[in-house]
Amino acid sequence: MTAVTTTVPAGPPAVPADAAPAARTRRRSPSSGGNAPYLFIAPFYVLYVLFMIVPVLAAVYLSLTEWVGLGTPTFVGARNYADLLRDTSFRTALGNSAVYVLVSVLIVVPCALLVAQALNARGLRARDLFRVTFFVPMVLSPIVIALVYGLLLDRSYGVVNTVLRALFGIGSVDWLGDPTLAKVAISFVLLWRWVGYLSIFFLAALQAVPRELYEAAALDGAGALRRFTTVTLPAIQPVSAFVVVTSFISAAQLFDEPYLLTRGGPGESTLSVAMFIYRAAFERQQLGYAAAAGVVLFLVVFVVSQVLNRVLAIGRAQ
Amino acid sequence: MTAVTSAPSVARTAAGAPRRRRPRVAPGRVALYAVLGVLLLVFLFPLAWAVSASFKPRGDIFSSTSLIPAPATLDNYQRLLGEQPFWSWFGISVGVAVVATVVSVFVCALAGYGFAKFRFAGKRLLFGVMFSSLSVPFAVILVPLFILVVKSHLSNPWFALIVPWVAPAFGIFMMQQYIVQSVPDEILEAGRIDGNTEFQIFRRLVLPLLRPSLGALAVWSFLQTYNSFLWPLVLVSDSSSYTLPVGLNTLFQAENRSFDLVLAGAVLASVPTVLVFLLLRKQLLEGLSAGAVKG
Repeated sequence: MTAVTTTVPAGPPAVPADAAPAARTRRRSPSSGGNAPYLFIAPFYVLYVLFMIVPVLAAVYLSLTEWVGLGTPTFVGARNYADLLRDTSFRTALGNSAVYVLVSVLIVVPCALLVAQALNARGLRARDLFRVTFFVPMVLSPIVIALVYGLLLDRSYGVVNTVLRALFGIGSVDWLGDPTLAKVAISFVLLWRWVGYLSIFFLAALQAVPRELYEAAALDGAGALRRFTTVTLPAIQPVSAFVVVTSFISAAQLFDEPYLLTRGGPGESTLSVAMFIYRAAFERQQLGYAAAAGVVLFLVVFVVSQVLNRVLAIGRAQ
Repeated sequence: MTAVTSAPSVARTAAGAPRRRRPRVAPGRVALYAVLGVLLLVFLFPLAWAVSASFKPRGDIFSSTSLIPAPATLDNYQRLLGEQPFWSWFGISVGVAVVATVVSVFVCALAGYGFAKFRFAGKRLLFGVMFSSLSVPFAVILVPLFILVVKSHLSNPWFALIVPWVAPAFGIFMMQQYIVQSVPDEILEAGRIDGNTEFQIFRRLVLPLLRPSLGALAVWSFLQTYNSFLWPLVLVSDSSSYTLPVGLNTLFQAENRSFDLVLAGAVLASVPTVLVFLLLRKQLLEGLSAGAVKG
């Protein structure tokens, strides 16, 4: 939400500055004339109201009811929320989703930046080959990825264990059946799937940093690490903010990977909030309860993105 | 890239020469290429393994570790296509993705243009509301959207898999950014003087200028729709109108874990997206990067 105010004003300065002031004074009346702009954005807004605003409001209403999908919902007030607070499964799901978020923001995003740094090396050959190959996982369907990794990580026959057995003599690691290892496996798949995609944004940002800045810093005697913290990081701040917030939102609603790789198991050790919602609604017919969990997820994501935006924007002002 | 093979000789003498005085460049380079090479393997190995395994007899998939299937067989593919309604899943997935892409590119271009080139009352608010939808997790509206669609008898896959998804805020933001940067006001002005209506200006003068970013958005939208899993999983109950991801999921969850068939299906299912990506990779990657840097 605040991303609007941070990102949008950042746009115009990038545009040649000479066009803007003239346009502002001369073209105010014709550009603002009539209802044309409203008609241009109308298709979006009609769809937006029908398929976003209405469902969000419906979610809030449903969350205050008990409903199995037939007949009329029974109003129960805040009982679903009270139940959620006491539900250990929901707490587990929140905890697991928090793990996915931390993995994304603290591991996947920095790795993407490192990959982008490597790809930004001057005179690198075959840069496009690397860039395109690293992006490919994003092109594939999550089911394809989950299927391949499910087979590779198979306890008795998987290639990963076969290799481990041959190299270190440790085999039969139950990658998807052990509560901790299953999280590790899912995190690795997340890393594999996202890192190339996110590095595209970082690479573009790095390429836009003027060389002179680095040269000036080097003249001042700054080493590689210092150049990275004093030149690179501030220069790519807006893109980093975008990448962090996007990864956060995607990870917070993660469904495909845990559902396809482990069904949330073993037990509930990889159950995410989105899976909790799916399970409550479509396997247990607790529609009101599922909606309440959705509203909680919405609030958490909303508040945290606000905080992230604020924190990252403060860093940028410095 | 093609430049890679021919450029180095020139680049090294021209730009590279002064820097060569630094002695530590060479070992760094070796490490750099080594790391990137290892990463390349990490990214390619699972895919190569899957393609290779899909041509192996079921018994060989786990027992033979060679990446070259020997004996190679088309058996998995033949049985998949013979026993399962694969082409019907394929048709629905591709059809839905194509229609959704065409419509969504148009809707996004319209709205992006509206936000980029006009001043109007409430613009800031409307833009903010649009943008804020980026931070609404889909899981939040999953249940109510499902109920609304089913209760209004709109759960036909050709409606429900397409219409709710054709106005992504990300796409509008991307178009708005691109239009602000690359469509000069003079063109619109000239169009107005020539007596075009606002919509004619958009269609005849603006749309042709947007081709690069329309391409990027189209690839992005195609990938999103084609690969989406949760919504079709919830929505489609009739196995003949499954999308590919849902169909493959059902196959894989079946009791005999028919991974031989699913591997073949996974390879076939990846063909359209990989093809679209490879053909339009430049536009997609540049479109995404342009949005990032300017945004």
